[in-house]
Amino acid sequence: MKHFTSLVLFGAAVVALVSAAGSEGEISFEYHRYEELRKALVSVWLQCPTITRIYTIGESFEGRELLVLEMTDNPGTHEPGEPEFKYIANMHGNEAVGRELLIYLAQYLCNQYQQGNETVIDLVHNTRIHFMPSMNPDGFEKAASQPGEIKDWFVGRSNAQGVDLNRNFPDLDRIIYINEREGGANNHLLQNMKKAVDENTKLAPETKAVIHWIMDIPFVLSANLHGGDVVANYPYDETRTGSTHEYSSSPDDVMFKSLARAYSIYNPVMSDPNRAPCRKNDDDSSFKDGITNGGAWYSVPGGMQDFNYLSSNCFEITLELSCDKFPNEDTLKSYWEQNRNSLVNYIEQVHRGVKGFVPKDGDYWRLLAPGNYKVAASAPGYLTVIKKVAVSYSPATRVDFELESLMERKEEEREELMDWWKMMSETLNF
Amino acid sequence: MASKYVGLFVLFQLLALNVLSQISAFPTPTASTDVADKTVYNRQLTEERPLQEQIAEADSVKAAVQSAEGKRSTASKGAESEQDLDDFTVLKSLADGQKSKETTELPLKKEGQYVPDESDSTKSRRLTEDYDSTKNGMDYDDTESFRQVDGTSLTAEDIVQKIANKIYEEDDRGVFDRIVSKLLKLGLITDSQADTLEYQVAEALQDLITKNAKNNEIDDVESNDEETRGEQEDQGSDTNKDTWEPPSRRYNKDEDDDEENDDEIEDEVDRDAEEEGDDKANKTWDKDAEEGNEVRPEDGLQDLQYFPNFYRLLSSLDSDQDTQERETLITIMKTLIDFVKMMVKYGTITPEEGVSYLENLDAMIAMQTKNKLGKALGPPDFTGPNGKNLDEDDNTKAEAAKMQKEYENLKDSTKEEQPSTETNQPGKSETYLEAIRKNIEWLKKHNKEEGKEDYDLSKLKDFMDQQVDSYIEKGIIAKDEGDTIKRIYSSL
Repeated sequence: MKHFTSLVLFGAAVVALVSAAGSEGEISFEYHRYEELRKALVSVWLQCPTITRIYTIGESFEGRELLVLEMTDNPGTHEPGEPEFKYIANMHGNEAVGRELLIYLAQYLCNQYQQGNETVIDLVHNTRIHFMPSMNPDGFEKAASQPGEIKDWFVGRSNAQGVDLNRNFPDLDRIIYINEREGGANNHLLQNMKKAVDENTKLAPETKAVIHWIMDIPFVLSANLHGGDVVANYPYDETRTGSTHEYSSSPDDVMFKSLARAYSIYNPVMSDPNRAPCRKNDDDSSFKDGITNGGAWYSVPGGMQDFNYLSSNCFEITLELSCDKFPNEDTLKSYWEQNRNSLVNYIEQVHRGVKGFVPKDGDYWRLLAPGNYKVAASAPGYLTVIKKVAVSYSPATRVDFELESLMERKEEEREELMDWWKMMSETLNF
Repeated sequence: MASKYVGLFVLFQLLALNVLSQISAFPTPTASTDVADKTVYNRQLTEERPLQEQIAEADSVKAAVQSAEGKRSTASKGAESEQDLDDFTVLKSLADGQKSKETTELPLKKEGQYVPDESDSTKSRRLTEDYDSTKNGMDYDDTESFRQVDGTSLTAEDIVQKIANKIYEEDDRGVFDRIVSKLLKLGLITDSQADTLEYQVAEALQDLITKNAKNNEIDDVESNDEETRGEQEDQGSDTNKDTWEPPSRRYNKDEDDDEENDDEIEDEVDRDAEEEGDDKANKTWDKDAEEGNEVRPEDGLQDLQYFPNFYRLLSSLDSDQDTQERETLITIMKTLIDFVKMMVKYGTITPEEGVSYLENLDAMIAMQTKNKLGKALGPPDFTGPNGKNLDEDDNTKAEAAKMQKEYENLKDSTKEEQPSTETNQPGKSETYLEAIRKNIEWLKKHNKEEGKEDYDLSKLKDFMDQQVDSYIEKGIIAKDEGDTIKRIYSSL
């Protein structure tokens, strides 16, 4: 009894000291299976119901909900002028760290919001943040059910059908590369694809759900959390020539580098120039400052990252967060500490570039690195408007466009002509 | 028994540092912490070598080590002399010989920087400047280098001191972690040596804090305190010079510690008891307190009344044989409180943070007690540990009682419905309850701050009911969970 009570206090003091400061104590750093994940999200919602909402974008192959928690000042709707941001993790079911980090992040932001953290409050009020801790809950269950501490490199990676979700997306890179050579669009390819997607039998239910999600919500910025290495990876993932390693830059290469760095810079492990590779024979020669171009690292066709970018101009990067795909539970706290600041800072990147309104049509965002640009807004049946903009690092520069439709313009010209004729005739008396 | 104190005080120091680092504000994009990281990493080579000397068997290295007086070196910018570079190459070659295969890459990369060109003295100057430029204009702080002014290497104590200083200045316990993990990874020190180092650094840091606290004291320094602190410092350096005894690991609940430290530690405890006797720290607390600080310090035991769960724990120990245990607990608790007060006083945390920290502590005690002893101390206290709610006394007490009743009901009902996940059930209801409570508290506070009238409970209830229903429909929460949530809200 004696020992017990002082152990109690000891334990309490330990936990409190370690955790109470900075509200980290309200987060418990352990793995969440599906039920626990669900409950954890519900708890966040119960604690912060005015700024959060849980929804599901569909079901996994085995019927688990693909849960999303959104966090914003008026959850449930897109507010004009408020950019949409998403984090997706655990699309490979055995890459578990990202899944946990998103749960902790949701809890953390809710706690910080209530504790008056100005940065967090601003962020929540001006952004619509979506967290999907697990795109592949079936795979995770499989990986987590393995006995013992050491988890296999592959078990649980793919979905319940054996599909690798990060090779399952329509390969828009291929189309882009063809268009580059032969002429054609290099963005927003999704417009013509809705039907094709619905009728595609090769798409896993998880993939389809995410594609619909991307089509429904105009995401501006996103990140996709993985494990097995430590680096921030940006488009293009697939090499142009089809070789296994080749730097494959996108038209927004400068911006992507800046975004990837914005994440890696706050992660001391990722940005450590002297970090040894995860495994002795790994080739991390393409890593610099904790970032890498996808194709330069190794070619990935059919990945979610490039699909986001090419289908809807949502800028997505891939974050590899741990050498171990499914590390020991007692390392989770340190992964949180390594990544917390990066995770928050990356969300803030959505408020860069240019943004504005186009009357009747709505709002837009375009992430841009600092520089001088000509921004052109065009739409079928409308006259293109081009404006010169000087873009700083942050915050986003506001540029509104008023598009005039061709019909309107023709009407105006006709009226002008009539007025002129009238005036002339009155003056000249005919 | 006393061995627990060893662990506990080590714990305090180490976790104090943890607390310090976690309470820091959001980093700005131009945070210098990164730069500091770089300098720590870039100095990989220089940091490793002195520690290596400790374990090196090479006589020439041992001969080069002079026992330092433990004072900090204060070399100015760019003071690296030719002699340094000579020593350096000697040490480098020794180090290279002892490094494992994996790590040869690192020194090899750095070799480029450090090739000493004895013929041209200006070249060595330039190297230093190159070195400096990585710091982006940060002043060259020689506490980072592990050399004395005269170019000789430092002893163990100096290193410990340097690390402690760095941690203290940067307010970042992560410094230590980074250094140690590097060393461990490269196989230059063993785990137990890392532990020892940690212990040493923690002690050194504690000394630093008390030393500086002494300097910063606003009130008249009572001779009493000076003596006690002076004694503490002596104590610290004594244990420093002791042989390397493996310290109790943090969080290690099996506290098998050496008995040798007992006497020293007991003295420290007694001193703490003395310190608590005086109101000086308390006065300072009052002075620095802003409005909103709820912890009203009087003397000693009255502090503890604001920790109802702790108090209950104490009262559960009222048999004679438990007196000592009681005393122990009280001492520990008071130390914790004083520690928090000190942090507030020196601006490391705001009073609000201090209060919430202590509130959490109390809540933790309740939870831990329940977990460890398998029973609750009494009705879990939802009204918070302080006099905040005295105004709304009856209201919140009634609510708390209701919630408690609710909780009891929940426990039973959920157990019946889902026996398969039984162990989770009470935990889950508790979590939901906890979450809802936080929301209510926040709403109250938020509305008060904004000068609004009290939030509309019935509106909130309706909204939540609606949401819960839609979530049940979509399969986001289970029916029984939904009922639970609705019931909690209706009991408010």
